[in-house]
Amino acid sequence: VSNVTPKSTGIPKSKGKSKVKGQFEPRILAFCCNWCSYAGADLAGTSRMQMPPNARIIRVNCTGRIDMSFILDALYQGADGVLISGCHPGDCHYTSGNLKMEARFTLLKSLLKQAGISPERVHLQWASAAEGDVFTEGVTKMVERIKKLGPNPTRKGG
Amino acid sequence: MVKTKRIALTQLSSCWGCDQALIDIHLKLLDVLPKLEIVYWPAVVDYKLHDLEALPKNSIHIGLVEGSCRTNEDLHLLKVMREKSKILVAWGSCSAYGGVHSLANQWDLKELLERKFLKVETIDEGRIPDENVPGFTESIKPNPDIVPVDLVLPGCPPTSENILDALTALLENKPYDLPTKTVCDECPLEREEKRITKFHRTHEGKIDPTKCLLDQGYLCLGFATIGLCGAQCPSAATPCKGCFGPPPSVVDHGAKIISALGAIADMTPEELEAAFPDPIGSFYMADYASSYLSKIRDKMSRETK
Repeated sequence: VSNVTPKSTGIPKSKGKSKVKGQFEPRILAFCCNWCSYAGADLAGTSRMQMPPNARIIRVNCTGRIDMSFILDALYQGADGVLISGCHPGDCHYTSGNLKMEARFTLLKSLLKQAGISPERVHLQWASAAEGDVFTEGVTKMVERIKKLGPNPTRKGG
Repeated sequence: MVKTKRIALTQLSSCWGCDQALIDIHLKLLDVLPKLEIVYWPAVVDYKLHDLEALPKNSIHIGLVEGSCRTNEDLHLLKVMREKSKILVAWGSCSAYGGVHSLANQWDLKELLERKFLKVETIDEGRIPDENVPGFTESIKPNPDIVPVDLVLPGCPPTSENILDALTALLENKPYDLPTKTVCDECPLEREEKRITKFHRTHEGKIDPTKCLLDQGYLCLGFATIGLCGAQCPSAATPCKGCFGPPPSVVDHGAKIISALGAIADMTPEELEAAFPDPIGSFYMADYASSYLSKIRDKMSRETK
């Protein structure tokens, strides 16, 4: 996440600091599955639904493709939160990828809890291709949660 | 005369089990020993630290470092070894990945010292030793994260054959690469389609010694563990604890394990959570220091200071 330089994203360097001073804007990495949630996020965009701009979306073919080390690496590199959004149970394009994700996610949360890292920094939600509103709400709530938690302590300078 | 290579073997905080495994090469030692000139090996030869420090830079052909840096003295010894050795080998899981005692990275040093020296049930008036001791490091890091190493030979301990293979390769100036296979690839037990509905502790039920232990619901970590040991434990109907660490392609041992378990467990999230009351101990027995979790915690405590 942190490797993206302002130059490569086309955002002027000063933008991050032009916001109100002291206001914490979380950086959230969102993994969306191609068949449901990514289309849902797209729908939210084309329907002009309003949501905080804090989520950076990575499209994956299925939430079952997400290796747990991706999520841990994101937290290690300083992401304030990781959101995983997939198809509803039973709707998976590959029949059961989302259920596998759910089982992995459960174990990941207990690992994070035991290691002393807030498990609230990761969140799993279901949003179908027709549910732009569910996706919007998920992102909004995630941002609220992370704002309460504060920045990822691994990030330099808070 | 046979051309000899200068070798140094060092023990940091560890159980010295890797030395045992080396000695267990047994009669093959007769082939290896004449090719070696031991310049430092406190377990066997009476050299002192100042002897090692007095050696010129890069004067040791092969340096083997066992154990991890729990004390500042370990840290010093590791750095001296790096300076004096041409080829430095992280020998054993402690050296390569932090070892069993890196599970202590779940707590801060202060908590650990209090638990160990003040709150032990068998002690009345405890005190934290502070005189004539080197002092502890804040957390355990894998040695390759502290100094560059040229070769990693994991194992708790590496088997005698592993050590012999690695040493022979080094003596003959040949490359020694870790295998990409897993313990499952070496395991003789019979495998079926996996659908696990309940996990058992090792003492529960009766293990069928001919069938895959994971299929029977015992947490055998062979699928995510490097195949160096010859599947010793599963062959004796004992689940693999993952003490050799992951194969080279895997970044995080525990992450790989839970990724795989999620795919084969036919259980509700609640059941799954209850099945592993100590996930770090179960999934990172000998390599917690090299996990993302431990590194995140390290970074966190550094940033908050």
